[in-house]
Parts: sequence; structure tokens; C-alpha cells
Amino acid sequence: MDSSFNDDEHMSVIMKRGSQGSSMVSVGRAEDCSGNIAILRSLVRIRQLFLNVKLKGENPLLTQLDPLSSTPFLFVLSMASSLRLYLTCIRNTLEAAMCLQNFPCQEVERHNKPEVEMKTSLELLLNPVVICRNEAEKCLIETSINSLRISLKVKQADELENILTKKFLRFLSMRAEAFQVLRRKPVQGYDISFLITNYHCEEMQKHKLIDFIVQFMEDIDKEISELKLSMNTRGRLVATEFLKQFI
Amino acid sequence: MAFFERASPALKHILLQLYSADKPFAVEHHLHEFGSLQYHIQSYASEPHHAYLSVSTPLLSTGSSILCELPSSTMETVTRICPGVVEIVEPPRTGYQLTLKLNFAKIPRKKDAAKIITEIASVHTVILSSQLRELLKNVNDQEITQGTYKPIKLVYHQREPFYVVKQPEKLTAVFPIRIKEDSDVVIAKAFFQELVDVGSSGRFAKAPACYWSAIPPAELRGESMQDLSTNGGFVSFEIMARHVEGKKLEKTVWNLLNFNALVKYHVKCTKGFVQRRMRSRLDSLVEALQHTNMKEDEDEHIGKVKGRTRVKKVMRFMRCKVVMRRWNLKKQIKRIRSRIRIHGFGKFQRRWLKLPSFSSVMRYQKLEKY
Repeated sequence: MDSSFNDDEHMSVIMKRGSQGSSMVSVGRAEDCSGNIAILRSLVRIRQLFLNVKLKGENPLLTQLDPLSSTPFLFVLSMASSLRLYLTCIRNTLEAAMCLQNFPCQEVERHNKPEVEMKTSLELLLNPVVICRNEAEKCLIETSINSLRISLKVKQADELENILTKKFLRFLSMRAEAFQVLRRKPVQGYDISFLITNYHCEEMQKHKLIDFIVQFMEDIDKEISELKLSMNTRGRLVATEFLKQFI
Repeated sequence: MAFFERASPALKHILLQLYSADKPFAVEHHLHEFGSLQYHIQSYASEPHHAYLSVSTPLLSTGSSILCELPSSTMETVTRICPGVVEIVEPPRTGYQLTLKLNFAKIPRKKDAAKIITEIASVHTVILSSQLRELLKNVNDQEITQGTYKPIKLVYHQREPFYVVKQPEKLTAVFPIRIKEDSDVVIAKAFFQELVDVGSSGRFAKAPACYWSAIPPAELRGESMQDLSTNGGFVSFEIMARHVEGKKLEKTVWNLLNFNALVKYHVKCTKGFVQRRMRSRLDSLVEALQHTNMKEDEDEHIGKVKGRTRVKKVMRFMRCKVVMRRWNLKKQIKRIRSRIRIHGFGKFQRRWLKLPSFSSVMRYQKLEKY
């Protein structure tokens, strides 16, 4: 159980340190991810729970579901929990990163631009953080003194999901003025990006803004799954009506 | 080919107008439908109960041979639409394949009139489906002559030809699917997948067997590469004798003729559906973002003033402004901050109380770019 849990790397946290080229990448270790203690704690808790259950031998549900192997049950649990952990990780990272302040440009007088976009002074940029659920789903959080950029990559399992994701996210990006924090063009390699400045933090409540980002991620996944399902249902209905005419 | 309704709506409207007119009047109309169908309608004031309808359809071709004249069987079917009312004029008007003389006086003045005019307005379907109808009629024909397995190419639309392959006891209709946009291809493929699934289910065992393949089926071996290059694959239907019995023949012919149009219509409707869903989702997301606004809480708090139930007074005052107004703090702060001038203190300050200059607190140590 222990080894299978370790092997099942659904939740991996990658932290890229130093934008000066000497980047260090570490995956899913407590020592490396000082900013994601909550997740690691919950991971450890789940692991302990499993170990206790195994030692005591009191897992009727597990044996009922699959008496020979516990893999399917474990898989379902890990998939469901991995999403929760992924979102919690993003939430915690955002909470830590969203301490922005007004900061005018150091290079140009009377300029006040988001440093995460302009990148005029390296000392004003923090280390970017990449949070990966899997290869297809990840989140990049870039922080600077007065702005924060969040880029999301949404999973696209097949062709249909791919076009639906593209359509939906393009649709949202085209209407970025409705969302104050949405970027018109996503960062390269990602599907959608948000840009939060210190002014947004002043106008909006920080915790609600974080809630919105997390809710947005959940909604996108849900919406694409629902769209795919309804498209297939529509197709099935049309096919049924078409074939009915021959009978 | 892009019509699901058999009767042309524009033609039906004009014919109904002519039929219900109290006074005879001269009319001449040219109609173009879907870029390939043409109608010419003419009536003279001298002939009060008559109108002339000329129809031109796209040239039906079977591979190399092109049919310029309508076959006799088609002519017979046209005359059977409404005997007495419809009469074929020979020769047809120049540029048209068929000219009909309509006698409105023989149409009964009841509810049937609309039905008869609808049938006349669907004359193009008789012409277009004549070729395929002849092929499907002979599905059960046991005589297999040399070259029967060779696919027959039917061109109703230049970009959307399809093939009919006659085999023992069945006839296979193969549709090469070509769609312009890549995203539409994905939607169409999802539809074909559903079509195959539904067709293979037990409920539709009597429906024609339906197949989809990305590569050309074996029946089309030997056809030109240009005709076989598609982006949506190939959809095949196996038509048996039971699918063309009696009244089913007309339905089967019409369904096969409209299959390409159906696919395109489905893709278009699905895109519209997705767009509607996205719009509604956008609204809900924007609403969620608006809840993050800081002013909202204050507005809600101030808005809940008891005493007035009908009018909600929305006051947009910051808390600090309210305090300032109530206690008149501005003046007090000004008074506190105002300088007290002491004669000669400036000189003393410059000499003895001079603070060393520091760099700005807001400024960080500059790092060199790598």
C-alpha cells in the first residue's frame, strides 16, 4: 500500500527556483516545498490513514469493492483527492503570493505598470511556481512586487475536449473586459492567464478573488465535461431520429 | 443540396398568391434556390386561371455521362402529382429542363388546395430523386451483369458527390465527407460515432447498417484520388429491399439525398448550442467575480436601513468619510499638522538637527541582468 501510494504521483509540485538560469526543480518532497505545507500535511495524513487501516485490517469497503486487489478503489480515491489537493495547493500558493503593493516603475518616471509583465527589474520578481496535477493539467503562478500572473493549462483528453476547451477559453479571453483580471492572451504553453495587480487587490477582497480563481478552474473542467456530454447526447438523438425514418 | 422541406417555401408562397387572387394579373418571377435550382413563374392577364412554371435543376451525372433531358419515368411521375392541374409543356422554356402549365381552375376550393399547391411546389424533389429512385427500385434485382460492382457516382452538388455500389441483395451508398473547418470535422466525427453506435443497437436492427471509416471503403477501390481525399472519412449505408418497399422508397431516397445537408445542419446547430452555453456560463462567471467587490459589502450593510421597505437607498460612502463628516476631523487634523513657527528655529535645525540622507525605502538594491 505504501509503495503504491508513493508510485501514484498524481499530485506533484514543481518549484522552479531562480529565474537567473540556475533553476532547481524538485518534485513532491516536504523539504523542498516550504510554501505548500498544508498539502503535504494532508498527504501525510491520508497516507497514515491508509497505513492504519491496513495494519488493523478493518477495511470492509475495500474488501467489498474488490476482494482481490485494492487498486480500483485506490485509483478513484486518488483521482478525487488529487483534484482537491491540486486546488488546495493553488489556493495556498495564491494566498502566499497575493501580497501586492503599489510600486512605480524604477526605470521610467511616472510609469506604474505590472512588473510581472514588464520585467524591467529582476529584483522585483519572485520565483515562478508551477503546480502540476499531471502532464496535461498545470498552473503557473508568477509573482512580482505589484502584480501576479496565473496561467492555467486545462486537460484535453481527446479531440472533442480539445476543440471545446479552445473554443470556450477563446470565448472568455475575447470578453476579457467583463472579467477585470483576465488576460487577453494566455502565456505561451498555457490555455488561459489572469493578471492581478495591486489595484485589483485594493478593489476586491483578496480571499474572494482567490475563491474566484479556484472556482473558475473547477467550473471550466465541469463545463467542458458537460458540453462534451451534451454534444454526444445531441448527436445520439439526431442519429436516432435519422435512422427511425428508415424503419 | 441543402433542403429538408420538400416544398420550396418561396414557390409555394407565389403559387398560393396566384391561386387566391381575385383579379387576374400578370406576374413574372425568377427564383434561385441553394445556388443550383432555378424557377421561372409566369402568368398572363389574358389567361386568368393559368400559370407557367419552369424548373431547372443541377445536371445529374453518373460519372462521365451527363443527363440534359429528364427521363420519361420522371416525366410520368411529374404528371401524376395532380392530374388535370399539371400539364407538361413541350418543348420546355429555353434554359430550363421542365415547363409545367398549371390550371388553377381545376384545383378544388377547399382545404385540399393548399395541399395540392404544396405538392406542385415540391416538383424539384421528384426530378432530383428520380435517378436514385431508379437505382433503389432495382435493389432486389438478382441479375448481376458485368461491371455491376462498379460504383456509380452521383453528383447533386459539385463538392458533395456520393457513390452507390450495387451488390447482391443490397445497395451500398457511400458518402465521402468533406468539411471546411477542422473544429467542425471533430463535431461531425462525434456524430458519426453516435450514428454507428445507434445503428448497431438492437432497437435499430431493421434500419440500414451504418459504417464509418477514416479510409475509403473497399467498394471505392479504383476511384480517383481527388474524389477519395476527405477530412471527415466515409459513411456507408447498406440499403436492403425492405427499406425501399412501397412508401418507404420516397423516404429512403430523400434521406440519402439529404444526408450531407443533415450533417452540416447538425454541426451548425451544435456550434450554436455550444455558443449559447458559453454565453450563459460567461454570465455566471462574471457574477461570481462581481461578488469579490469590496464596495458590495458596504452597500449591502448600508442598504439594509429599516423603516423603508419599498425604496432601497444605496449610499456609496466609505466608512472613513462618514467618520470625517460626523466629527469634522478634517479641521482638527489640519490644526494638529499646522506648523508652529519659532523665530530662528530654522537656522538651528539646519545646523544641529540635520538628518543624513537615505535612499528611498521603496527602492531595492539593483540586480544586474544576466
